[in-house]
Amino acid sequence: MNALKNPRILGTLAVLLIIALTPVAFGDENYIMRVITVGLCSAIAVYGMNIILGFTGQLSLAQGGFFGIGAYTVGLLTTDFDWSFWQAFLVGVVGTSAIGYLFGLIALRTKDEYFAIFTMAIGFIIYLTISRWESVTHAHSGVNNVKFPEAGDLIDFSNPTAMFYLVFIILLACVYVTYAIRRSSVGRTLLTIRTSEDLADAIGVNVGLSKQLAFAASAFFGGIGGGLYASVVGFIGPDAATVDKTFEFLMFILVGGMGTVAGPLVGTMIVTFLFELFQDFQAYRFIVLGPIIIALVIFAPRGVVGYLGGFIDKRARKRRIGSARKDGSTPAGTPSSADAAGHRGAPADTITTTEEKK
Amino acid sequence: MTSIPRRASRPVLAAAVISTFALALGACGGGGGSGDSGGGDESVVIGYTGPLSGGGAAYGENVQTGLQMAVDDINKDGLEVDGKKVTIELKSLDDKYAPSTAASNAQRLADQDKAPVVVSPNAGAIKAIQQINDGRSKFLISAYTSDPAIVQADNPLTMMIPPNFESYAKPFTEQGMKHGGKKLALLGTQSEYGQQWTKAITDEWKKADGKIGADNSIDYATVSDFAGPVSKALSEKPDSIFVGGPSQPTALIMEEAKKQGFKGSFLVMDQAKLDEMATVTKLENLTNSVGVLPVKEYEDPGTKDFLKHFAEVAGEKKVATSETALNYQSIAIIAKAMEEAGTTSDPEKIRAAIPDALSKVDDKYKVNGFPTEISDEGHLVNPELEVTYLDKDEKYTKVPVEQVSDAK
Amino acid sequence: MTLFIQQLFNGVALGGVYCLAAIGLTLVFGVLRIPNLAHGSLYMLGAYVTYFFLTTVGVPYVAAIGIAALILFVLGVLLERLVFHPLRNSPHTHHMIAAIGAMFFFQAVAQAIWGADFRRMETPISGSLRILGAEISAQRIVIIVTAVVVLSLLTWFIKRSIHGQTIEAIEQDRTGSALVGINPAMVSMLTLGLSALLVTIAAGLVSPINLLSPTMGDSLNLKVFAIIILGGLGSLPGAIVGSFALAIAETMTSTYISSAVGEAVAFIVLVAVLAIKPTGLFAKAVQR
Repeated sequence: MNALKNPRILGTLAVLLIIALTPVAFGDENYIMRVITVGLCSAIAVYGMNIILGFTGQLSLAQGGFFGIGAYTVGLLTTDFDWSFWQAFLVGVVGTSAIGYLFGLIALRTKDEYFAIFTMAIGFIIYLTISRWESVTHAHSGVNNVKFPEAGDLIDFSNPTAMFYLVFIILLACVYVTYAIRRSSVGRTLLTIRTSEDLADAIGVNVGLSKQLAFAASAFFGGIGGGLYASVVGFIGPDAATVDKTFEFLMFILVGGMGTVAGPLVGTMIVTFLFELFQDFQAYRFIVLGPIIIALVIFAPRGVVGYLGGFIDKRARKRRIGSARKDGSTPAGTPSSADAAGHRGAPADTITTTEEKK
Repeated sequence: MTSIPRRASRPVLAAAVISTFALALGACGGGGGSGDSGGGDESVVIGYTGPLSGGGAAYGENVQTGLQMAVDDINKDGLEVDGKKVTIELKSLDDKYAPSTAASNAQRLADQDKAPVVVSPNAGAIKAIQQINDGRSKFLISAYTSDPAIVQADNPLTMMIPPNFESYAKPFTEQGMKHGGKKLALLGTQSEYGQQWTKAITDEWKKADGKIGADNSIDYATVSDFAGPVSKALSEKPDSIFVGGPSQPTALIMEEAKKQGFKGSFLVMDQAKLDEMATVTKLENLTNSVGVLPVKEYEDPGTKDFLKHFAEVAGEKKVATSETALNYQSIAIIAKAMEEAGTTSDPEKIRAAIPDALSKVDDKYKVNGFPTEISDEGHLVNPELEVTYLDKDEKYTKVPVEQVSDAK
Repeated sequence: MTLFIQQLFNGVALGGVYCLAAIGLTLVFGVLRIPNLAHGSLYMLGAYVTYFFLTTVGVPYVAAIGIAALILFVLGVLLERLVFHPLRNSPHTHHMIAAIGAMFFFQAVAQAIWGADFRRMETPISGSLRILGAEISAQRIVIIVTAVVVLSLLTWFIKRSIHGQTIEAIEQDRTGSALVGINPAMVSMLTLGLSALLVTIAAGLVSPINLLSPTMGDSLNLKVFAIIILGGLGSLPGAIVGSFALAIAETMTSTYISSAVGEAVAFIVLVAVLAIKPTGLFAKAVQR
């Protein structure tokens, strides 16, 4: 299998390359670096949502809360307890995953809309805890002077470019994990659950455990994103854990494309910059942004990456049919590429491959 | 899962989305052009990031009105810095009260609009901005918050505008006890600021041998019916009640307390302004209370004209509050400091020139206890601070305040 | 004891408001199978439109609520046509985001028209009653009575009238209803319009004891969702029981424990109930 010939992987690599090069162009523009780096932190949390929502089909609305737990663990441990960033980060990520796992035990007893609103309630309880438990979290006073990651004399992470690359490398790892899950048997298990839980159960998948792990994994990513975010912005308040944050993430993933590898990143960047662009309208920006959001979900329901993925498949199919005619063999004679696409790309792939097989 | 019907309009839409993205990147990357507007005149941007939508929008707009009025007046008078005529431009961005958004906005104002000064009216946001204003980017924060934590942070480029709220605790306690009694019920708001106030009042009240009930603080923004919390507070049979959050809900709480038969005194936190509260309830419901002095009770040289001007800008129904008036003053101070420093771009020099500038600001900009000095930590101070007691005959009596130090 | 009775009445009044808001939401869920996150902003708009007719135009209180309810009915129908109808075959994630877009839009519009300032709505209903030593204001009694009347009318409408029965039919079996000639698109519009109408009545009743602001629907929004989930999505009795239960729990915990717990109690109860019974108290058989 030649990965570099797959336009979907090429596209993902191109997006990553463009983002990797931003410091070269904007290294001195603190504002742009900040917006992009904060965006990357959100994107990591959105990758978490991608696993539970995009792959497994469960709408979890607790992601903002997990992001907040990660951020507050790093924030509080590095300031009030004077831990190093890395220790705090480790504890934050492990802690968030553990909390996610525990919540999952109850949350996953519910299904569909109940699950969605149940997790929203969990997210809200996390927010209330952070914003009201004054003696520990300082409530609305927030946590100030969160530490930068330490690296001896090697790298100075107070430099925005260095911080950008740290977040970027961790994001790359998350993208790779997403890609790996997508291709592995675990990924296929999750996709089966998304298609039909009953079917998955019937063919011997341990539905409960798989969902449980997917939920914990989404919390894990949320914790990573939140922990990095705390260090990037230096000051965190309860707004880091609101339910609105969850909806922001949801918007990112929808615009980018659910269940795709590049979608969360692309969506996060598009929406973040769209919001910044409309800042000039101040309070009235939502008169424009509201309808734009509605239009996006109505007219581009599979997101930007999902759309492009469908486009690529269509072209690939045409080419295949064309070459098949030339060779005089049937299109079904080239199953390898169709299979590869089916295992990798967007949810659209599942649809297109089934269409092809008809 | 659901299969989604394909639509013919998709390619158009995708193109639109991608081009919007490109446009967004372009707009953000290509900024910075608005610094000079060509010609002989120079212009300088004063940045403002505040809540212009969401729950805090009314507050953010009040601040913005003050800033805009000052900018207009200064431009009309003509500002000259280093021999060149300078026009001030106010650029406002919305942060919805979120500190991280405020910091991004401030960074943007400093980077792209080359703003030497950024105004922020929220302690959390100011703390977040303090992370970035004295390093790779340099700009002065014009900080509208009475939380002394922001000057304790040792940030050399912070100018704190209003008085330290801790100064109010003592006169409030004295007046509250005098007109009410020894037993205090706490019914403040559940915001960061409200909680700090509750703590300050609790300490001071205990020091004066008073008794304090349970902390009945509620979130003024989310409670749908104040009757319950008020009944609960009154069940402690207090002689005085501490209230305060945004003016209008505070007024409703006091009205409800009087309706349920409360006869004692109120301690009204400085976020609520007695005259603004009177726009939603009768003034008689607000009597027997100690609070901050309404703007219209000040006797600074410019107060009368300011109020007239404010009515023209905001309409007769709106009440000018200290959020508007103090930010109006502070922009005049900054403009004068630019003149004194001979620069519109170096925030450190502008900050250094503030002590000299204070005595040279035109009288018409003195509207609300104009400061006469600035502490080394950057706190504007007027030694003659007063609060007010609103008596049963709806008359305001001024009470002098001894100010506490900003040190921890 | 007086305090307890006082708070009980306050809790029941609050329950009435929650109930009027929650019933519309649960109906919408039953028929359209979407969680309408824009519900709170419809409540907010209902309050402002009532305010506009009462204060700016100057019609009497009851008429103002009536006119506002009709206007919001039309707005609800438009919302269904323009936003939810095109999304009828999409997964519910899409509805949620579209509803959030609508919510942003409504809030920004309200702020553009009426400003961000708090507004107060005066009513002709004043005075209070003394019951068992507790002071109950007349407005709260009106809220409780209206909630009961509106609920009875609604039950009658759904059980007895042709249009109402179509709602129940669609809730029970969408395909079957379509087969017997019920037009699901019409019923969807009717339901969303009805939910906007009900929430406007709630807003018109509660506004006089609170303040109007563009964000006034936000805190109600989350709570009402907790209520309908607690009661079981799409279940009318569930929504009614859930409303009063959570409202009284909220008032009582605020009084006897702390206001922070009072704010969280709705969600804690929700988590506890769902942990034991994952489909809510009065779950209906869910059709797929």
